[in-house]
Amino acid sequence: MFRYLSFRLLRAVLTILLVVTFAFVVLRLSGDPALTILSPDAPPAAIAAFRHEWGLDQPIWVQYLDYFAAILHGNLGQSLRDGRPALQVVAERIPATLVLTLPALTMKVLLGIPAGIYAALHRNSMADRAVMAGAVAGFTVPSFVLGLVLVLVFAVQLGWLPSGGQDSWQATILPVVTLGLGGAGILARFTRSAMLEVLGQPYIRTASAKGVPWRAVVTSHALPNAAIPTVTVMGFMVGSLIAGAVVVESVFSWPGVGRLLVVAVANRDLAVVQVILLLVAATMVTANLAVDLVYGMLDPRMRAAGAR
Amino acid sequence: MSATQIDGATQIDSAGQIDGAGINGAGIEGAVVVAARQRRRGMPVAVICALVWLAAMLAVALAADSLRPYSITAIDLRARLQPPVGFGGSLRHLLGTDELGRDVLSRLIESVRVSVLIAFGATAIAATFGTTMGFIAAHFRGLVEQAVLVLIDFQASMPFLIVALAVLAFFGNSLPLLVALMGLYGWERYARIARGLAIAANAQGYAAAVRQIGARPLRIYLGHVLPNIASTLIVSATLSFPEIVLLESGLSFLGLGVQPPMTSLGNMVGFGREYITRAPWILLAPSVTIVLTTLCVSLLGDWLRDRLDPTLS
Repeated sequence: MFRYLSFRLLRAVLTILLVVTFAFVVLRLSGDPALTILSPDAPPAAIAAFRHEWGLDQPIWVQYLDYFAAILHGNLGQSLRDGRPALQVVAERIPATLVLTLPALTMKVLLGIPAGIYAALHRNSMADRAVMAGAVAGFTVPSFVLGLVLVLVFAVQLGWLPSGGQDSWQATILPVVTLGLGGAGILARFTRSAMLEVLGQPYIRTASAKGVPWRAVVTSHALPNAAIPTVTVMGFMVGSLIAGAVVVESVFSWPGVGRLLVVAVANRDLAVVQVILLLVAATMVTANLAVDLVYGMLDPRMRAAGAR
Repeated sequence: MSATQIDGATQIDSAGQIDGAGINGAGIEGAVVVAARQRRRGMPVAVICALVWLAAMLAVALAADSLRPYSITAIDLRARLQPPVGFGGSLRHLLGTDELGRDVLSRLIESVRVSVLIAFGATAIAATFGTTMGFIAAHFRGLVEQAVLVLIDFQASMPFLIVALAVLAFFGNSLPLLVALMGLYGWERYARIARGLAIAANAQGYAAAVRQIGARPLRIYLGHVLPNIASTLIVSATLSFPEIVLLESGLSFLGLGVQPPMTSLGNMVGFGREYITRAPWILLAPSVTIVLTTLCVSLLGDWLRDRLDPTLS
């Protein structure tokens, strides 16, 4: 188990390193931020001063090492727009995003997993068909279409809910539902396949053949085994809590991290984009590590596999 | 958009790395498929409908120039925001007009062409690049293989939309770059499949026989291994095609994908959003097209997977 986890940890660190490098190389080599921020007509002296102030006149590898050193010191650069620390600019937006993504995650889990289990236990019934149809819709309807249709129906036609903004708790309903419905469909589909796979296993047949009540077979034999693949999908969903709402936030003009990312990218605000990339990578990697830990608890075979 | 990235099996088993323990994500629907295969021998009606729709989309994409009733940039300010036929509009503009009086149908046709072109180009790039990486990993093993695996891990662990956003906006928005970037989407799935199957193939008699005769690696992989694993790769491509359509339309919707004066499906939805109260048809026409197209490719992909490919099911 220890070897398994330390191997995973090493991989996680490597992923973070790759993300930092990737972000740095792409963002720095793609163009000169001095010209973008100051406009190409700015006096050469001003451009030179700007470059010097932000360290843009150094060789690229010096900038890279400086960047790494700065990250290790917790200094992630300043937003080129208003000079405030990029980390602060991003951190301010996180609560707004979590207000959407946490309820949406709850909705996905509470809706998707029971629906998937029910569909698997009543295979080929009407309920199963309905769940599968919903699940297919969940990943073929893009979130911006779903969001806009909801706005059209509930905000424009019926006038029940606001179409955007952040003024009241009602404003969170449409974005949360938009995020939650799509994810619930995916989770339901996944849970259903996992359950069906498990229900076809010999140990389920053995358990019911030796007279274990069907309810007990399902709860103590089928569900724990079906949980393993489902946990993987949920890990991905937890990992995208921070930036999983880029499109939906844009649809509802929600001032969260996703909206900030789109604006920062359009303004070429390097520091902010890098902070968000790092943050996303860190959450993703942490969520994946957590998933690995949960595997270890759920599945003894994983420990054995790691010890190999 | 992360939702579109989690299309189950292929993506997830990467994050989990649990193949070794026999919980291969791709094997999950196994039991279902056996039953399904016995059930459906002929082609289900839904799949036929999907094929017809996709053929129509393809025809529209190929013949866009002659199908368009108007130029996509033809502005007619006297005919602004006209509703479609059946909702009070005239036959001159079947799907109505937008805020500048441009014909929505014409723009839709052009959008289908652009979106289909990007999705096809990107799928081709992803399949080629991914398969090549997979073969390289399978051929060299050792450090090379580990490096490829690290790249696969990296790709699978980052939400692609975030990465794409950063790259696109910082390099500017040219169509070739957009296609190339979309082409990176999902390469890791092909790589994983190609690597696994090529390693298995290398252990089989036919590959060994060809090698004994003295064929070079390139010939073994392209001439002998590839044809044997092609069906799996094609099914995989069908499954990731709709995700690329969704990704491109999402980026264009955010204003960071296809740029005006060109138009794509997501682009139309993005600009139509401004007029959601006064002229919902501007965004509904492309929205319906996106949903129907992704739905049809998914249906086709699922069916192909059930029919052709026992290893992916």
